[in-house]
Amino acid sequence: MQAGSLQRNLRYTGKERMRALRTPVILLLAVCTTRTLPPRAAAIFAATRAVVDETHRQVMVPEHPQRIVSLAPSITETLYALDQQDKLVADTDYCDYPAAATQKPHIGAVLNPSIERIVALKPDLAIGSAEANRRETADQLEHLGIPLYGLSDKSVDDVLKSIRDLGALLDSKTQANALASSLEDRVQSVEHRVAGLPPPRVLFVTWYQPLITIGAHNFVADVIRRAGGQSISDDLPGEWPRLSLEVVLARHPDVILLPRSHNYTPSLEDLKRLPGWRDLAAVKSGRVYFISDTIIRPSPRLIDSLEEVAQILHPRDNRSAIARDSLPSPESRVPSPDARHPMPDSPLARTEPLE
Amino acid sequence: MSLPATRRNVLSVALGLATLLLITALAALALGGVHLSIARVWNGLLGRGGDSEALAIVRDLRLPRVLLAALVGAALAVSGTALQALLRNPLADPYVLGISSGAALGEILALWLGGLWAAAAPAMAFAGAVATTAWVYLLGRRGGRLASYTLVLAGVITASFLSAVILFILTLLSTRDVRGTAFWLMGDLSVITNARIGWLAPAVVLAIAALYAFAKDLNVLLLGDVEAAHLGVPVARVETLVFLLASLLTGLAVSVSGTIGYLGLLVPHLGRMLVGSDHRLLLPTAALGGATVLILADTLARTVVAPLELPVGAVTAVAGAPVFIYLLRRAAG
Repeated sequence: MQAGSLQRNLRYTGKERMRALRTPVILLLAVCTTRTLPPRAAAIFAATRAVVDETHRQVMVPEHPQRIVSLAPSITETLYALDQQDKLVADTDYCDYPAAATQKPHIGAVLNPSIERIVALKPDLAIGSAEANRRETADQLEHLGIPLYGLSDKSVDDVLKSIRDLGALLDSKTQANALASSLEDRVQSVEHRVAGLPPPRVLFVTWYQPLITIGAHNFVADVIRRAGGQSISDDLPGEWPRLSLEVVLARHPDVILLPRSHNYTPSLEDLKRLPGWRDLAAVKSGRVYFISDTIIRPSPRLIDSLEEVAQILHPRDNRSAIARDSLPSPESRVPSPDARHPMPDSPLARTEPLE
Repeated sequence: MSLPATRRNVLSVALGLATLLLITALAALALGGVHLSIARVWNGLLGRGGDSEALAIVRDLRLPRVLLAALVGAALAVSGTALQALLRNPLADPYVLGISSGAALGEILALWLGGLWAAAAPAMAFAGAVATTAWVYLLGRRGGRLASYTLVLAGVITASFLSAVILFILTLLSTRDVRGTAFWLMGDLSVITNARIGWLAPAVVLAIAALYAFAKDLNVLLLGDVEAAHLGVPVARVETLVFLLASLLTGLAVSVSGTIGYLGLLVPHLGRMLVGSDHRLLLPTAALGGATVLILADTLARTVVAPLELPVGAVTAVAGAPVFIYLLRRAAG
């Protein structure tokens, strides 16, 4: 009983706990009580370290985590990519990649996982995402003494950093660095290829009825930027803003990207029938691309999406339709302010007629 | 306070409110997330001057949306007026009988099932409204006729049960789908298809006209069942038909716009302050007033946070609650 409450106290108090641990008296006391703890708890207690996670919270994590719960599909994917699946004791109902992830015990949905089930699995570490999970989940787990390491992915670089951070956390630094470096190389090769090409204006459709798009601080916007495009909603606050369709009309997107949903994805024919949508030049000319939904998942496969988007915006094969239609002739391809695609807030944007 | 419902009064009230509606509608056409000059709005509306952007914005986006707001606003306000009389309860609104929850469940089920089901979401919403109406009607019958209290209780219980089912399904949807669905639950007019307005307009107009035929009976019903029966009103039949017509109006509105709150509660009360409680005057007042108020609310939803949009249900709730409290205080004082 006494040991239990001490253990809880040690987990509770954040920075003070660290200071307390340095005091010899407490340390001595701790060593004494360790004997009365159950063996597993004792092992955790004996080998924890304080780290600062990507959400700037200080967390006491086990030195060598052995039982991990993933709270988001992107995290599950990264753990598999780092070959850490044996330590993964459970993931969410939506963890569908790789296929083996669906066979793991599930702890419920991303927004409302079953805390009971997590506790019952006796994890020594939970890994969550600031963008996908709720604060309440993190607070509850902290309260129950389950250390939660939080990731935050607002850009492509953040995703690479998350891979490295998870590597450092899970004794797989070498593997993580190798993976992150190879992904980084792929990012750079895309960037190198599209450098200097005029960026097509892109409308990203998170949801189409009503239209929900992406704001500036969303990793999807960064993917589009680095694939040599420009999101037309780059000036909007929030991660998933709801944009007015008439503003979309006035901003003249060249390309529309629509991630496929397993529930329902409209077809180009559907969009051609909808008022507002059918007036968009990109819909009229069929420049609507139904892309993989890995683009809304900040996992290593986000780089696949980056390459997919780059291939759509700037195809390697220059004879393809989009290169011919939406880009100026080669001689005018200079990285200068592009008169055909004025910025949304320039007066030109309002007077430019529909193509 | 109550205006006598002479033909002349009905006509002049209707004409006055129709003028107000028209002015509001024109203003709504001129306003939006994109600034257009009056000349461009006019050209866009008439399809002149080869201004394809103005044409697309005004004719393809704003005009159908203003029409949709007018139809939904009229439907909800008239439905609320009729239900308040039928249930003799000033707190009754189109949603008190659970119809909106039925429609919402239909819509969300469609999204959850995905594929072809999702494509038929509005039809599913309407089916949900009809099924809930039938269910509440059966529960609310006592000895061959509708019992006001039983009906309200049946509606409230059904609504909370269906809402629970909706919340359950929401927990099963992925985050991305929840984002889209949440807007629908809040009430939203941004999803327009012209076909939708094509069948919505005649249905709403016919249902309102049919309800108007019962205007006198509703006046008598307010006196009480027994009194109405003594005055020669076929109470059971009138109640059934009014209930079905009001439910039909709500079902139509909800299936295209989601659940827009407060309008069906507020507009009938505003109408009563304006023209009194004779339904021959009150029903047209509610129809035109409801249309005007929802166009106004939707214009706010489209403009206050432009280039972003708010769900119109959030606007009606935020604006509706204080107005309602003010009216209550004024009536009490």
